Parts: sequence; C-alpha cells; structure tokens
Amino acid sequence: MMDTLLLLAMNGLVWGLIIALIALGLSIIFGLLDIINIAHGDFFMVGTVLAWASLEATGNFWIGFIMVPLICLVLGALIQVTVIQPIRGVAALSIVATFGLSLILQEVVRMTFGATPRRILPPISGTVPLFGIEYEVYRLFAAALSLAALVAFFLFLQHTKLGIWMRAVRHDRDTAIAMGVPAQRVYVVTFAVGFALAGFGGVVAAPITTVDFRGGVDLLPVCFIAVIIGGLGNLPGTAAAAILLSLLEGIIQSVANPTVARISSLVLMSAVLLLRPQGLFKGHVR
Amino acid sequence: MSGRIIIERCVLLAFAAFMLTVPWSVPALVNTFWVSVIAEILIWSLFAASVNLLFGYVGLLSFGQALFFGFGMYGVGIGIDQLHLSFWPAFGLGIFAAMLMALVSGIFAVRLTWHYFAIITVVFSLIFYFLAVTMKPLTGGDDGINFTLPPTFSFGGTQWSFTNATFQYFFILATVTLCFYLMHLVIRSPLGKAFLAIRDNDVRASLIGLNVYLLRLTAFVMAGFLAGVAGALFAFFGRYASASYMFYHVSGEAVVWAIVGGAGTLFGPIVGTSLFIIIRELVSTHWEHHSLIVGVMAIVVVILAPKGLVGLWRDGLDRLVTRDDSKAAAAKLPADSKLRTDP
Repeated sequence: MMDTLLLLAMNGLVWGLIIALIALGLSIIFGLLDIINIAHGDFFMVGTVLAWASLEATGNFWIGFIMVPLICLVLGALIQVTVIQPIRGVAALSIVATFGLSLILQEVVRMTFGATPRRILPPISGTVPLFGIEYEVYRLFAAALSLAALVAFFLFLQHTKLGIWMRAVRHDRDTAIAMGVPAQRVYVVTFAVGFALAGFGGVVAAPITTVDFRGGVDLLPVCFIAVIIGGLGNLPGTAAAAILLSLLEGIIQSVANPTVARISSLVLMSAVLLLRPQGLFKGHVR
Repeated sequence: MSGRIIIERCVLLAFAAFMLTVPWSVPALVNTFWVSVIAEILIWSLFAASVNLLFGYVGLLSFGQALFFGFGMYGVGIGIDQLHLSFWPAFGLGIFAAMLMALVSGIFAVRLTWHYFAIITVVFSLIFYFLAVTMKPLTGGDDGINFTLPPTFSFGGTQWSFTNATFQYFFILATVTLCFYLMHLVIRSPLGKAFLAIRDNDVRASLIGLNVYLLRLTAFVMAGFLAGVAGALFAFFGRYASASYMFYHVSGEAVVWAIVGGAGTLFGPIVGTSLFIIIRELVSTHWEHHSLIVGVMAIVVVILAPKGLVGLWRDGLDRLVTRDDSKAAAAKLPADSKLRTDP
C-alpha cells in the first residue's frame, strides 16, 4: 500500500514538472497575447511526435532534446505570423482560430504519423532503489531535465533583453512600445517560446507516455487548471500549481480511479475560480 | 425599408419554401440521405444558437454548452430506457434537466465574466463529462445507451413516430423553427435590449438600474433551454444518448459554427452549421481527413470575415445597395453590432 502510494506520488511529481513546462507556455501566450490557446495540448502532442520522428530518422533519442524545441520554435513563429497576427486583439476570434489550428495539427499528424498510438523506449533503462521502491531512472532524469528547463526559462525571463521585453509588454503594452520595445517581435517570440516549451515537454514525456495524435486533448484541461489555480499571469504560481496538482492526483489515484482524481482537481479549480479568481498564491496579478 | 432588408426577406422566403419541401425535393435532386443530413443541420444549428444567444447577445463566451446538450440527451435517453416514459414526458424531462442544470451551474458561472467565464463553463462540463463516463450503469459511459423510440402521437389505431422519415423531418423542423422564433421574440423584447446593453457595457447597464447578474442568469438558462431542446431532439434522431457528446470538443464546435456564421445575428448559427456539416458530409466519404478542411476554413473565415459570414454578406449587400439608392439607405446603415472584445 505504502509502496503504491509512493510510486504514484513520485509519478505525479514527475508529470507535474513536465506539465509545469507546458502550462508555462500556455500562461505566457495567455498573458501576453490575450489568447485562449485551444491548440496548446496539440503543441505538446507535436513535440512527442517529433521526438518519435527524430528517433526514427537518426536512431538516437538524444538529438530530439535539441532538435524538437528548435523545430517547435520555428513552427510557433510561423503560426503566430500567419494565423494569430491577423486576428490580434479579438480574443473570441482567437479561440476559433486556435480551435481550427488544433484540428489541423491533429489531422496532419494523423495523416503522416498514423492513427495508431506508439511507444518509445526510454533512452536510459533500468531502475534505482528510492525510499524502498525501485524507480525508473528515466523518470528521474525527465524530472531533472524539466526542472532545468523551468530554471532556464525563469533566468531567460529575468536576465535577457527579450525576457525583460516580454515582461514589459505584459505589464504595460503601450508604455513598452513608447519606450521602444518592438512589441510585434515580442509577440512572435512569445508564441514561439510557448510552443517550444510545450514541444520540449513533449520530448521529455514521449518515453513515459504514448505517442498519439489525440495526446493533447486530455492534457489541455490540466494545463488550464494549473494556469488558473496558479493565478493568471503568475508564472511561478502556475508552475507550483502544476506540480501540486499532479502530486495530488497521483496521491488520490492510489485510493480511487484516475477519473475520480480528475474530477476532484476540476472541483478544486471551480472553487479557486469562484473564491479566489486571482489564484491560490499571492503575488503579481495582471 | 432599405434595399438590404427587402433582399433579405426574399432570401428568407425562398429558404423557408425550400425547407418545407425538403422531404420531396431533396430525394428528387440528390438522394434521401441528405434529408437526414438537413435534419441534423437543423438540430446542430439550434445548439449553435444557444452559444450565439450567450455570446452574440449577452457577451458571455460559453465553452460548455455541451453540458446542457448532454443533459437534454440523457433526460430523453434515461427517461425512455430506464423510467419507461413515453415520448412527450421524456422530451419534457430532457428540457427540464438541461434548464435545471443551467440554473444551478449558472448561479455560479455568471458571477464571472470573459476568460474566467469561458473557463468555468468548460470546467463544469468536464466535471459532468467525467461523471457520466464513470457512472456506466446509468449512462452507458462513452458507449452510450440505445433505446427504441415510443410513438410521438397516437390517436386510437393511428400512430405517428420517428420511424416515418418525413414525420421525423417535419417534427424537427417545427421544433427548431419554434425555438428560433422564441429567440427572435426575446431579442426584440425589452429583455433582449437589456441583454445588448450588458454585452456592450455591463458597468453602464448596471448604472441604469439593470440587474446584470439576474439578466445574465436568465440568458444562461434560456441558452440551456435551447441546448437542451437540441440535445433531446438529437437523442430522438439518433435513438441513443452518449457521454461523448458532453466533451468540450462538442462545445468548441458550436462556438466555431456560431462565430464563423456570424455571432449576434439570428441566422448566423444556421449558416455556420450548414457550411461545416455540408462540407463534412461531402468530403468525409472521399477523404478521411476532412477535419483538416474544417480547421483551415475556421481560420480563413475568422481572418477574412471577423464578423462572420452573415456579417460579410450584410456588409457586401449594404455596399451594393448604397451604390444604388445612395444616401437614403446610407442614412439607415444599421449600426452593426460590434462584439465586445476587451476584457
């Protein structure tokens, strides 16, 4: 019993770190471009599929860790310029456009990759003893990698010029433009980085989940839950909420089935929305 | 009366004439299969209209209307399959269940607006989707429940039921037309004007003494009614009810149909729904990746015609007519209802 609990809690923690990455991507797109991105789950899915493709092409999984985020960065920039830019400012239209985008991404993957879910073997096999259970090494590695990416993202936001521009535009768009920040370029970068974060989450998660063209559909609500519970625009809060939620779902799963776990996190989210729309954690509110 | 309105009346009359002859003209022109496609379009148009009532007239973007569609469906399904109700009580149960659910969830949901409203409506619908999937004995989960339909009317020996395709079509047409007419009446009433006031500026609306919360709740329950009727009709039409119709993708499709057709116009949802379902039916038999076309279309329409297809048609027609009788019509240019976009 204790072992199952520990195992599920660990799995929850690992997933939480991956989801934190994806949810951060969703949050910056949401906060900066004022877009409810229905296609964000599919960005993750594209990441898993690209990981599979790069493994097929090169026979080496490690290349995917570099290649996939780069491809996603380019894809994200292209999508922003062609689809998001023309409808900027009209949030309702952006929901329709990203819904269309979601259909396109899923269908293109189904056409090229196929409708059959596949599995990827983790590049590191084996288990290590951890608090009395045998735990997969790759999952620990995935957690460490996600954590590193999270730290890198926050450093990027705090210390690079682009990161500072991104924060400036989110804080006060007009003043930022008046100060000479190229807002247009910032939008493109933000969308691209959001896609890349989800794509990177996809590569990291590919060996511990199935690669499937519907892989993003279930993930999207989880990411929105994290963004809302963490507080819209509160990036550290989003990351913390993603980790806590997954951990909690893991723990609930040890006593009930996954659907019950999902329902409880949805109920928790409704409560947060109604009672504390600024998010569970105190902090900067957009 | 401006030229545009005369033209629109003519189009509407032709449309009504066509709809009344569908069971005979369509099999003669194409085949009988398209009669049931048109019946399906009518049902989904009503569903898209429920999104439109909230978004186009009250300014609330609901992403969870599938919840009420599902309740309408399950009200009928469970009513017939488990409670052994006849046609009309099951219909009533479906609509009542949807409206009750809309009232209960609306009490919480309409306290929020914009992004938060869109998200809480998704969350509510997801909660009940997962519940429906778990409660398999009652709902059949994703597989759904199949049932045989009791007759709609029976007078002595003669019965009318949905097994008669023509009767099925006209029953759906009559019900959907009635609902659209009711919506038209509401929009033109003082209540409808109050809705528009809230859509355009909720702070001003509350300052002139409107009870914004109560009005939003009223609209939410009305939209629940429309979605519930659509769901109940769809259960009759397909003879089954399934949890998969409560998933957020179903709500999303209705949002796309309504906005692509033209939010804030009575006929927008019909245009949008017809377009997408006709494309789906035309393409899906030849090419399994028809969703690709749907996705591209949604994006193209949103970029090129942000007011939707009906908005595009009206703008085009206005330009045409003003060129003809110049200033007279120009003075009457309708203040095209701009949708509120800022948070």
